[in-house]
Amino acid sequence: MSNNTPLTISTFPHAIIHIDGDAFFASCEQARDPALRGKPVITGKERGIAASLSYEAKACGVQRGMRLSDIRKICPQVIMLPSDYETYSLLSQRFFSIVRRYTPDVEEYGIDECFADITGLQRPLNASYPKIASQIQADLARELGCTFSIGLAPNKVIAKVASKWKKPAGLTIIPGRDIHRYLNQLLVEKIWGIGHQTRSMLNKYNIYNALEFARQNEDWVKAHFYKPHYEIWQELNGRYVLELNTSEKQSYQSIQKVRTFTPPSSNRDFVYSQLAKNIENACIKARRYCLAAKRIVIFLRTQDFHDRGLEIKFSRPTAFPNEIIKVIFQAFNELFDPTKLYRTTGAFLQQLEEFQNKQLDLFGQSLKIEKLTRLWGAVDKIKKKYGKHTVYLGASFYANQFAQHQGARGALPTRKSNLFKGESSRRRLAIPMLAPPS
Amino acid sequence: MIPKYPHLQKIQNFYQHYRRMPSYREIMELVGWKSKNAVFKLVNKLVDQRLIKKDSHGRLLPSSLFHQVPLLGTVEAGFPSPAEEETSDTMSLDEYLITNKEATYLLKVQGDSMIEAGIMPGDLVLVERGTEPQDNAIVVAEIDGQWTLKYLRKRGKTFFLEAANKKYRPIFPKEGLNVAAVVKAVVRKY
Repeated sequence: MSNNTPLTISTFPHAIIHIDGDAFFASCEQARDPALRGKPVITGKERGIAASLSYEAKACGVQRGMRLSDIRKICPQVIMLPSDYETYSLLSQRFFSIVRRYTPDVEEYGIDECFADITGLQRPLNASYPKIASQIQADLARELGCTFSIGLAPNKVIAKVASKWKKPAGLTIIPGRDIHRYLNQLLVEKIWGIGHQTRSMLNKYNIYNALEFARQNEDWVKAHFYKPHYEIWQELNGRYVLELNTSEKQSYQSIQKVRTFTPPSSNRDFVYSQLAKNIENACIKARRYCLAAKRIVIFLRTQDFHDRGLEIKFSRPTAFPNEIIKVIFQAFNELFDPTKLYRTTGAFLQQLEEFQNKQLDLFGQSLKIEKLTRLWGAVDKIKKKYGKHTVYLGASFYANQFAQHQGARGALPTRKSNLFKGESSRRRLAIPMLAPPS
Repeated sequence: MIPKYPHLQKIQNFYQHYRRMPSYREIMELVGWKSKNAVFKLVNKLVDQRLIKKDSHGRLLPSSLFHQVPLLGTVEAGFPSPAEEETSDTMSLDEYLITNKEATYLLKVQGDSMIEAGIMPGDLVLVERGTEPQDNAIVVAEIDGQWTLKYLRKRGKTFFLEAANKKYRPIFPKEGLNVAAVVKAVVRKY
């Protein structure tokens, strides 16, 4: 088959757009403070690595996940900022609201990306599909002050290809009959959902670019792959298979809390209390969604980035940190090596299920659970009124005594140190703040 | 006394939600009818009652009476709860201060350059990003990589920035004026 034969002759049987923030966190900072415009900016200072980098920083050769000390060597003029997740989240919510002005069918796919279905909206919005996409893009840039790249296509997989095609501030439109022109220039592993395992397998069949994969016989694809990849193949051929998941996130598969602290420590009590604080935080989140975990994985990371972890199963699902602390203490002592310096601890609550205390038993367990439910219910109420960690476990005492990071990396995001009268370090107005004017 | 039209309330709800009047087809779906002719008759009735208006193209517009019809919920018998009725026309401080939620940002005032406009150091200023400023509005502009809060003035065809304090001289930007946001409210908490 010639490379010029279209995969499908239709244009937009469905109109799906994928919107992707351009270096979102760094862009939020540049939108807030004009002094940062046109300069290499990275966020993630408190973690010691680059979490997000501005396009100027990328141009200097900085990459995501690079350590700050290495970044300073290749890009001495870099501006490093502590992550201000509060502001990023507020702007992210605004991002979704602006897209929802145009269509209710929005799938929030991450803090800085979403899918939106605009099928059939040309008439009500009085604009063509490309026009709608560019209007959304203009609204976002005007009201949020940072740019987004948009891809318009007949389905999600191709929309992802389109939004990545031109960045930043790109608007790429791929009608069904043009899909082959784009796939022809794309390696198969660049397709959303195709990882290195699948790539290696495809390479064995001499399939290297995405168009070669799309041109495979349907029966061959069905015989060699499971459903997810068969669905990708169908979408590459312009069909609409993957529907948007527009429901709000209601439940979690697992809850993870991982925190780094500076300076690194080999003090057993201190590292343990960091872990305990993570467990408390994970439990707070679990209780908020009325979930209880049947299993926990804890891990410790040393200063030279070696991880050790252990998994512990509970006799019944729980979201009460005092119960969990009791069972992980031994595991922690097994993991902890006092000759090493530790930088990070983490706790993953897994096998989550809906929390309920219905089961009666012989040993008075349900009475105990009832008591604990009331106790932690009260703690959650106090937290709501006076802020997180107003009441905390003795085990996390050391972690709550100091700021998470001492020294230069402990610098707070400007929003947290620039308060209005009536705001506190715990609670602030839910409106993003611009940098102070001259 | 305005006669109650159960269908009118659906149109009002639509208007409240979408900030525009529904089309004939949308009214058809709202009230669950199968013909646009029925909608046409309903519309004419409402127009006769001056509850809605039509524009020159026949599209619907809310009339001044449109909003005055009390929204009493779905209570069938007895008197409606007076509190609900009396407070339905009120708004929160948020709604009062903020028009476009997605485009509104905070700014903390520094310095005394706007003191004669009643804007003091430390004041909380609500600004809206991306709106077209009117002449003599107080704006947030970008000067030398910094935000600045000033009056936007126009002399002939040139725009310039002016402080509300005689100590400061007007700023005539050399390369174009970048107005990022327009001041919508000033809040001071004592």
